[in-house]
Amino acid sequence: MCPFRAAAVADVLQLAPDVPIRALMTDRSEIFEAAGRRLRAARNYDGGFGPGPAAPSEPEPTALAAIALGDDGARRWLMQRQRDDGSFGIVQGFVRDEGATGLAALAAGPGLTRERALDRLEELEGEPLESSAAVPLDGSIRGWPWVGGTAGWVEPTARSLLALRLFRPGSLRIGEAMAFLRDRRCVGGGWNYGNREVLGEDLPPFAHTTATALVGLHGLDDALEHQGAARLRDLWRRERAGGISVALSLAVFRIRGDRDEASGAADVLADIVAHTDLLGDPVAAAWAAIATGPGVHALEAP
Amino acid sequence: MNAPSHHRHGQVPRRGFIKAAGVGIALGAAGAAGLRLGGLGASPRGRWDPAAFPPPTRARVAVLRAEGYERDLETLVFEGLVEIGADVAGARVFLKPNLVEFDPLRPINTDARLVAATAVALRRLGAVQVTVGEAPGHRRDLQYVAEQAGLIDALASIDVPFVDLNTQPVRHVPLRTSYTPLAELWLPSPVVDADIVISMPKMKTHHWAGVTLSMKNCFGVLPGRIYGWPKNVLHWVGIEHSILDIAAAVRPDYAIVDGIVGMEGNGPISGTAVDAGVVVVADDVVAADAVAATVMGVDPASVGYLAEAGRFLGQIDRDLIDARGEDPDRLVRPFASPPVAVA
Repeated sequence: MCPFRAAAVADVLQLAPDVPIRALMTDRSEIFEAAGRRLRAARNYDGGFGPGPAAPSEPEPTALAAIALGDDGARRWLMQRQRDDGSFGIVQGFVRDEGATGLAALAAGPGLTRERALDRLEELEGEPLESSAAVPLDGSIRGWPWVGGTAGWVEPTARSLLALRLFRPGSLRIGEAMAFLRDRRCVGGGWNYGNREVLGEDLPPFAHTTATALVGLHGLDDALEHQGAARLRDLWRRERAGGISVALSLAVFRIRGDRDEASGAADVLADIVAHTDLLGDPVAAAWAAIATGPGVHALEAP
Repeated sequence: MNAPSHHRHGQVPRRGFIKAAGVGIALGAAGAAGLRLGGLGASPRGRWDPAAFPPPTRARVAVLRAEGYERDLETLVFEGLVEIGADVAGARVFLKPNLVEFDPLRPINTDARLVAATAVALRRLGAVQVTVGEAPGHRRDLQYVAEQAGLIDALASIDVPFVDLNTQPVRHVPLRTSYTPLAELWLPSPVVDADIVISMPKMKTHHWAGVTLSMKNCFGVLPGRIYGWPKNVLHWVGIEHSILDIAAAVRPDYAIVDGIVGMEGNGPISGTAVDAGVVVVADDVVAADAVAATVMGVDPASVGYLAEAGRFLGQIDRDLIDARGEDPDRLVRPFASPPVAVA
């Protein structure tokens, strides 16, 4: 870790989680430019974006790049890769990834591609589960899976909810998505990646998954959103070493109009983007660019 | 540079075996069939290709006392690797620690000091390149976990690269075992391209698999962007089945088990610390796990996937394991079992 960053992070880590970070009035446009440069490095000759250095284009980073940068080439790449059933994702033989369809619906813009993606989201559901003493949950709420033929999880459910609340506000499955998020909410608020309890142990919420859930449910349930956002104010400070966690948290604070939290998160994100390589992750760079640029408005109701 | 022939005991060279298939990702329509399997159940004829997995031969395991992470771990690992006759000269080595989650009160991850010490020891033994990488099972923010676990700084200080396997290009690897219906896996290129792969797990109990050691650690090479966060598709087809297929596909050359401080009870995340004070180094992941399980007070034959792996992937028979260093039976420190769900 470079001396500047070490000092900055150490300074921040000395603060208790409930103490607001001093607003340094970070210029978000600088973060946006820096994150955008990182993201553009993942652009391939075909117009799409890969998941890492020298990796072939894939739907998730391409959809996020289209949202973050308003990149028409990325949008075209996506539209050419929509599957016959309207979904977007990676198919690896037996494994059919469904995780990018919600983001692609946002990225595609108005039109048939988006409508077909939304149709797919309305159709897709996780496999049913049985509640048990080991993993208590309401198994009748299916949610959305990462991979076809498996159970629903918080992140893909939140992504699907985001697309449906923005573009199909009358969808009957919005209620199911909200029920899923209520059922899987951790004790005290926030979200783990899936379950709230395993083998008698309350699972902890994470910044990344909590922020993703809040992006999805924004404006749909004030009490649930308020509780989750309150938990996120603690979580992002605890997890401030992670670029994608801080970026997603910043996006949440911006769409909620929480200027103090947004300012603190922007300071930390600026430090991360300036002094780390985000582990070469274009998805993290894309979320940093979305959180600090005009792309964040794509997460808000039109 | 031409790497030496890094294969052991007359087996099929692992790297060539893995590299034999094509490259790339299919973007297009394909269906997902039903994924559930029944119990593990031993198949008399086996579910492996005998051409790829000749009968396991003798294994070498070094059991090393280590009371804490402050001691000279580099010398400890160096001597352990020498004891088992590890040949890494001229090789590109990929180290796979177990990096799952961060909790300052729980020893969830392979200790960063041991990982860094191993990288230095490998260089002393002539490795031309050492890379460390991971794709955690459910935490997408690997930067957070790796930073907090101290791994980023520990590796930066010795100029060893750390890669997020979730971001790497992947290669198609047909399975030569059939415990799951997956038939194939997509493995990150740093794993496939390495001459030597070393599994470096934390010694822990696991609430679904009994114990999590070198074989289970191989789950962490599969990228979440394909298999999900968590990699639910692997649990859906049966966790023990998946352990067998994945470990057989990755086929680590060596194992170094961090049992200096292990985890008992509700592992792999929510258990409690155990000062087991041991590092297990082996040229066979099955033998490593069998010996480590013994130290944990667990009969290796009682761990379904381990007993099955002993039929084709490595050695589980203590009479065919050449033990160096300490006698594992004298180091037994029984680990508390994971909690059992009551209906």
